[in-house]
Amino acid sequence: MGKRDVQICFRFRSGTPDMEQHRSSGARTPLNSALVQRRSRSKSYRLSYRSCLGAPSRLGLTPALTARRLNTSRRAPKSHNISEKVSVEQLALLLKNEWKLSYVTPLYRFRHTQMRGYSRQLSAFIAAEKHQGLAVDVEAAQGSFRASFSVIQGMTETDDDAETILIQIHSKSSFPGQDEPQRALWSGWLTCVYGNPEYLNSLPKDFTCLPLFCSSGSEVLTNAVKSWFQLTFDCCFGPLEISHTSLQWLVALWTNCHAECNIQHLKMIWSVPVMPPLQITYTVDGRDAWELWNSVRRDPQEEGEGGKDEEEETGSNIDITEVERFMQGLKGHFYRHFRLDLSAGSLKQVSTALGLAKCNGRMKISNSKYMIATLTLLTECALLKMPM
Amino acid sequence: MAANQSASGSSDSESPSLFDSSSQPAPNSRSFNRSVRVAEKERRKNEAEDPFVLALKFFSDVEAGTPAVGNDNLEKNLVLVERVAYSKGLSPEAISVMLEFAMSLRMGTSPCVRVLKCLVPASVVPQEAVVRAMVWLGVCKIPASTQVLFIKWVLTIFDMIDAKDQLRAIYGFIFSFVTEEYLCPFVCHLLYLLTRKESVRLFRVQKLLELQSKLGRQPFLLHLLSLYKVFCPEYVTLSIPSRMKSGFRNHNSPWKSALIAVQRRNGSQIASSASLPSTIKDKTSSRKRKHYHLELPVLCSQVNQQAQTEPSLGRKLVSLVQLSSFTQLLDHMHSIELPAQMGSLLGSSLALQYLDCVQDEFALLRLNFWLGYALHEEFLFCGDGRASNSEEALQFLDKLLSTQHFLQEAFSSTEVFLYKFLSVWDGSLLRPQILSLLSNIPVVPSSQIGRLLFEPLMQLFFTSSLFFKCGLIECLNNMLLKWLVWHSVYALEDDLDISLNSHTSVNMTLSGFKDSVMELVHFVGRLASVGLQLEGGHSLLLSFILDFYETVCDTFLKYGLPLIVMFPPGVFFPALLSPDPVSVDRLAYIMYRYKVNLTSAKNQEKGTEPAFHINRQTFREFNHYLVVMVSCLWNSRMFHSGMGVELGEELLLKSNVPQYSKSFDLVHHPAFLSYAVDFHHKCWPERKDLDLESIKQSKPWSWYLEYLHNQGYDGLKQIVPAP
Repeated sequence: MGKRDVQICFRFRSGTPDMEQHRSSGARTPLNSALVQRRSRSKSYRLSYRSCLGAPSRLGLTPALTARRLNTSRRAPKSHNISEKVSVEQLALLLKNEWKLSYVTPLYRFRHTQMRGYSRQLSAFIAAEKHQGLAVDVEAAQGSFRASFSVIQGMTETDDDAETILIQIHSKSSFPGQDEPQRALWSGWLTCVYGNPEYLNSLPKDFTCLPLFCSSGSEVLTNAVKSWFQLTFDCCFGPLEISHTSLQWLVALWTNCHAECNIQHLKMIWSVPVMPPLQITYTVDGRDAWELWNSVRRDPQEEGEGGKDEEEETGSNIDITEVERFMQGLKGHFYRHFRLDLSAGSLKQVSTALGLAKCNGRMKISNSKYMIATLTLLTECALLKMPM
Repeated sequence: MAANQSASGSSDSESPSLFDSSSQPAPNSRSFNRSVRVAEKERRKNEAEDPFVLALKFFSDVEAGTPAVGNDNLEKNLVLVERVAYSKGLSPEAISVMLEFAMSLRMGTSPCVRVLKCLVPASVVPQEAVVRAMVWLGVCKIPASTQVLFIKWVLTIFDMIDAKDQLRAIYGFIFSFVTEEYLCPFVCHLLYLLTRKESVRLFRVQKLLELQSKLGRQPFLLHLLSLYKVFCPEYVTLSIPSRMKSGFRNHNSPWKSALIAVQRRNGSQIASSASLPSTIKDKTSSRKRKHYHLELPVLCSQVNQQAQTEPSLGRKLVSLVQLSSFTQLLDHMHSIELPAQMGSLLGSSLALQYLDCVQDEFALLRLNFWLGYALHEEFLFCGDGRASNSEEALQFLDKLLSTQHFLQEAFSSTEVFLYKFLSVWDGSLLRPQILSLLSNIPVVPSSQIGRLLFEPLMQLFFTSSLFFKCGLIECLNNMLLKWLVWHSVYALEDDLDISLNSHTSVNMTLSGFKDSVMELVHFVGRLASVGLQLEGGHSLLLSFILDFYETVCDTFLKYGLPLIVMFPPGVFFPALLSPDPVSVDRLAYIMYRYKVNLTSAKNQEKGTEPAFHINRQTFREFNHYLVVMVSCLWNSRMFHSGMGVELGEELLLKSNVPQYSKSFDLVHHPAFLSYAVDFHHKCWPERKDLDLESIKQSKPWSWYLEYLHNQGYDGLKQIVPAP
């Protein structure tokens, strides 16, 4: 009880019809029409330009006040042959590490064309941080670290998404000429997959939104990279936890893939608030989980009432109610065996053969085919954290 | 000067051209010299025999190569100059003469040090003299220690140099001295004081880095480089270790005490210490901050990406760091470069002035992102159970508040944050700050005001202490005041049709604005009615509520808003029956202002231009209140039917109050009873028994009313003028 639940903060009821309308119409208003309108009225009022409610063109942002909730329905993950779009080496890198997640506010004046310049500047910055009190030439950075920026082409799903950026920091080998490839000391990437188009479009042109930052490597280097980004693109980094609800979503989304790809097992770690603290690892066989999942999926008959048009959607969309029913089933099963109701506890970690996610904001993706669905969810979580 | 700057391709090529220009002074400086000479001549006529003038003449006229050793003339004159210097300080002309004499080594090196040591300026130091001396530094064989002494002298009197433009023009020339190892620390300091964005060049950065590799981590190099980094982060980067002291070592110069003494004697107040722009974060709080997101970023230039690709293009930009006064800001208004991190603006009022003026959409958005991030992280996402009631949080909010007061507007990120925060706020955490922030929020459209503001506030209001209730009413009063002021300003501006920045403005119709104001007033009416009941008509709460209605009753006349909203009975009756005379009087004053507003509105309605239509209901309500008030206080007709307060006849009889209808007139009203008694004593001092009824007779009654007015109850006087 001592903790404040972030979810509470966003309890604005979404979908007040009149408001939505107001928003969307406002967002489409061309900039110059305001002037015309103003003149045409006998007496009109200028709303304070810093107001977050009236301004349609700027980030008064609308989602800030309305769509501030996780989607209650999302598309079921489909097998994506992402290796066709993304280079295999880069993909392998993304699958290799466990990543620490952060959210990032939009980057100001980030250019996908300046990767070499950024690499140079970041190398110099890290060298300067490393050698406190020694100035470093940006043009010809010396030092034991070499940072490199690159674009991961092909991770985007819509035109609004900015291309993913990969940053790697290598140690400069003290014995040049060796054949073995340099070992990456630190790597990180910034991505945006299926970002809320309304939000992305409301950003002015000079801002690039890559809300999800994943890093792996020493904390010192992570902090150095963050500081450099803050200095260079005037953005802010905050920790991104994966909430209880998001973890439940992952449970369902991953289980749903079992039909196409064996998830092997569904492993959940629960923590139950008793003294002493109790941690429960609950592992379900992949097949059993899938059967349970199948049983809670919307009844085809129920669907039938909706009409035939929705038939195609059936099975491709997952609703939060289904996720809840699935969780209820899992908890019920546990209760029957151990007389312990997991509803009192909270989900701390989920893992399957597809990946791993922890509530403290760490995750690992093990199968590239379904990574888009995971990243979509995480992008959404990161966008929810945006202050504006 | 301009030629010098453009030719500063390399530091070596600069020195000869500079030497030429300074040996042949520019025309305007020549005319300056002429006027000085004229003045000198006149003075010479008057004080032809002044030995000091003669001494100066000796130093300016002495021929090169004159031996110094055993020269009695020199000794005599030098002693004279020294005496004047240490007592009154030297005039600008004297400084010029003596500096020229010393640096040109006309009598060798021996008198040079002595002269330098006595160069205590009385007022200002002519820039030209310093520039000339600099040039001598390059051509003469001045001993190293003397060179150091000279630069130290320049550092000491830096703020007294009358202008710095020519010194900045020879930046490259001065820079060339950094290679002299013994001079380097002092030259770096001087360069630090002279550096502007345009003086930071890649070859200079490389030179300094080269020196660094030779000399090691020297603080003077680091400080200069850190300033270079502030201006041009694309050339150099470094991080200053926290243990390093900020600023250059305070060179213990021989002039300091003499200078202070002379200044004190002359009573002049010349800023002596060369104030350095701080490029290094003040690390006075040595303990590590937990709340790093509340730390303001340092003002620092942006990595100029445009300049990297096309260096020749673009205007010369001035960094906000190098501006120190409003005049400078105005001078460079069109070429100011925004800092790398907009959050750094929050700490500088000059920068805020600029922001307010340019209203750059991107800049504001960046600032809002940072601000919103800090607020969210601190107050909403603090999941680890950290108490956010920290000193840092308090200071941060105070800073934010002072910024918003300065700009007279709230940031939209604050607004977004508040809407979220209100629903989780316990009503006590940083209450004064949060309520102040809340009172700053701009007009909320009436369709959303209930959901965003009223719902969370209502919950907080009814579950919190009396003091919170008072605070909230005060906050809402301030909010209303700001909205009304905003209305009166922008309504006026619209009449003038100022279309500046129209792309940032959004329409809000008059009726929309009126709806919002009405919603707010009604909301406070509901809170006040129930709040007064809950708190038993507490007079403190009542006072805050009456404050609010003092704003409300004057919306038409004071703020030009065609809207008049009456208060609810839940406010009127508690105030009327309050045991506190001030509240009753304020109620009367508010009624009076309502009357004036309504009358004036009515007159406008009759007029040719259709101003606005006031609901008949409002008039009816007002008349009703007025009738109740007058019949209660003046006419002793309380509890009559149709007065709003109706009690059963039997119930009133049961109360055993004789003549209950009189119990709330101005004599018997609990608020005024003590005045009535006092008046009675004063009026009939000989009477032993108290007969308050006698005040009601026509003559004492008018005296009594006058007596009340004299006690300062003007509201009563205004609502029913004394007969």
